[in-house]
Amino acid sequence: MKLSQCIPGRTYRVKNIDLPEALSKRLEVLGMIENTPVSIYNRKGKGILIVYVRGTRLALGVNITENITVEDSGEGGKR
Amino acid sequence: MSMTIGFIGNPNCGKTTLFNAYTGANLKVANWPGVTVEKTEGSIARNGEEIRLVDLPGTYSLTSYTMEEQVARNFIMSGEADVIIDVVDASVLERNLYLTLQLLELGKPVVVALNMMDIVKKRGAEIDMHRLPEMLGCPVIPISARKRTGLSILMHAAEHHKDAHLHDPLIHEHPYGSHHRHDHHSEFAMVYSDDIEDKIDIIMDALKKKYPDLENLRWHAIKLLEQDSEVCRDYPVDLPDVLDRSYESDIINQKYDFIQEIIDEVLVKSERAEALTEKIDGLLTSKIWGIPCFLGTMAVVFLLTFAFGDWIKGFMEVGIDALSSGLSAGLESLGASPVVQSLIVDGIVAGVGGILTFLPNIFILFLALALLEDSGYMSRVAYVMEGVMSRLGVSGRAFIPMILGFGCTVPAIMASRTLENVRDRHKIMLVTPFMSCSARLPIYILFSGMFFPKNPALIAFCLYVGGLLTAIIVLAVIHAIDKRKDPGRLLIELPDYKLPGARTVGIYVWEKVKDYLTKAGTTIFIASIILWVLMSFGVSGYTADMSESFAAGIGKAIVPFFAPIGLGIWQITVALIAGISAKEVVVSSCAVLFGINNINSADGMTQMAGMLENLGFGQLNALCLMVFCLLYIPCAATLATIKKESGSAKWMFIAAGFQLAVAWVVTFIVYRIGLLVF
Repeated sequence: MKLSQCIPGRTYRVKNIDLPEALSKRLEVLGMIENTPVSIYNRKGKGILIVYVRGTRLALGVNITENITVEDSGEGGKR
Repeated sequence: MSMTIGFIGNPNCGKTTLFNAYTGANLKVANWPGVTVEKTEGSIARNGEEIRLVDLPGTYSLTSYTMEEQVARNFIMSGEADVIIDVVDASVLERNLYLTLQLLELGKPVVVALNMMDIVKKRGAEIDMHRLPEMLGCPVIPISARKRTGLSILMHAAEHHKDAHLHDPLIHEHPYGSHHRHDHHSEFAMVYSDDIEDKIDIIMDALKKKYPDLENLRWHAIKLLEQDSEVCRDYPVDLPDVLDRSYESDIINQKYDFIQEIIDEVLVKSERAEALTEKIDGLLTSKIWGIPCFLGTMAVVFLLTFAFGDWIKGFMEVGIDALSSGLSAGLESLGASPVVQSLIVDGIVAGVGGILTFLPNIFILFLALALLEDSGYMSRVAYVMEGVMSRLGVSGRAFIPMILGFGCTVPAIMASRTLENVRDRHKIMLVTPFMSCSARLPIYILFSGMFFPKNPALIAFCLYVGGLLTAIIVLAVIHAIDKRKDPGRLLIELPDYKLPGARTVGIYVWEKVKDYLTKAGTTIFIASIILWVLMSFGVSGYTADMSESFAAGIGKAIVPFFAPIGLGIWQITVALIAGISAKEVVVSSCAVLFGINNINSADGMTQMAGMLENLGFGQLNALCLMVFCLLYIPCAATLATIKKESGSAKWMFIAAGFQLAVAWVVTFIVYRIGLLVF
């Protein structure tokens, strides 16, 4: 599923990031790459999210979240 | 013999502050050979020995992806530096340790300088300073680059660590057991999973056979597993079974797993701060309340700026009044000529003094913006506004420079630098001047005070909203006609909320106030004198009748351009032209042009309103003037900043011309509609 469709309060695992290289490199530096767990804090609109990745809280726009594929890791959110 | 120390760290970690604390003014700036990234070098003497310091470019990682990364990596690999000082921002330890682990892997002596410990403490967090060096295997020295503490001990550690070819004792307690044939956990800080360690060993053997002189085989083996382009090109090995795919993501993830281990062990976060942040975010970033909360916050900011600021302003006016009449009397008794008296009282005191009385309003506005920024709310605004802004084709982050524009357009345009998307940057440079800056506030206070005495704050608020709406409409139009849909993408960190620090806020506000005062002392001072000269002299020399002056001539010449928008009075047109030097000058010019010493006092206002009304300038004209001032060509400093940030003079002229056109058209519409209503 796409990150943009994720539900607040749950944790997912990143499968694939399909973004321009400059942007995926920035996410990499923040520790968000394949297999990284991502907790969803907040969601609005078509998938504007506040997520928690590796100790950092990030706000991400739809045009980022809809290009990231994730799978449900089956864990509840680490809140 | 001398030694060389390389400084490296993430952008904004305080690396340059630290570097400057050591070297002072003793700097050399040069380019790295072959590339355009700047390097700074300095040298210090210590115990009779010369130490050469090299400031490496700020970088998050050591892949060969960007120019900065390549430069930093090649410098370290070249062996030029005897020791690397890795400057770490302790307040974002997680992210900074990623670079640290990569540095340690390079196998050179590393000393970690743990900067910004004061911020960590202020947030109620603590770092275990014994466990951290134990886990990293290198010295960790707490410092504060800003307060210049720990500098001596850091240099001491660097000197003593330069010959360390082995790590300091490494003591790890990983939760999982290793079945690897070597126990690397006492050798390397960063140890990977067994299957990757097996691969590293095989590749290292192959590298050793093929390149017997190669140093740091482990690092090269890891880079080959990551399929790093430079290492694959320079040191290929033929191991198709081992190097079957890129292990880059595994390697990065395992590094972050280890960082997580370190953080869990050494960082004691304040749970209260985190819980509080979530509670506050529950309201401030909620779907329903996010935008109302934001608008409410801004309303409070403006209310304070006006209501409270005006109250203090009253005292300033009394002071200026006293100064002005005191000066008059003093000059008179000294027997100064009328020309000198006029220059000092009508020119300088009227112009500069008029501006100084607005200091309280400006102080409060900047104080409020600084509090919002330092508390952590400003970055939430990017999230809250993302929905609206993405529809206008820019990222929610672009809203931050626009809000800063309410304070001053110059730092706002500088803040547009943080947008990754070049098109976003240009769009923001085009519309940010429409956000009503604090320099325009004096104009609103004066003219709404004179012509709309019942509700001046309401008029000013409408102007602020009007500027914002203009900006939004312009963005929407650009987005609609823009063929290349390349939207900005929102990616911003949201820090924990914290009580704003008095020091940070104080420095921020003081810098702005200082800028304002400097401007009053320079630009406005000079503009006031030039204006006074233009007004007091005509073709026949010094004249008391202003309508014969040079200013009148210039003003009258351009009146036809301003007449269709209700501003066809030569004094006003002169003030508007003078206002391009700085927007406050519109007010000081009016003071000088109408010869009023204290333009903000009730007396001064009544006097000037009377003069204007005699010239047929009423409520509607005052409104037109304020709208035009809101939108027309920004001040000279803003134009200079646009040129610098966009890197093109052409773009600056386009922006100025565009803003003038928008101002004229909008004011024209307001005037025509107003003529029907008033």
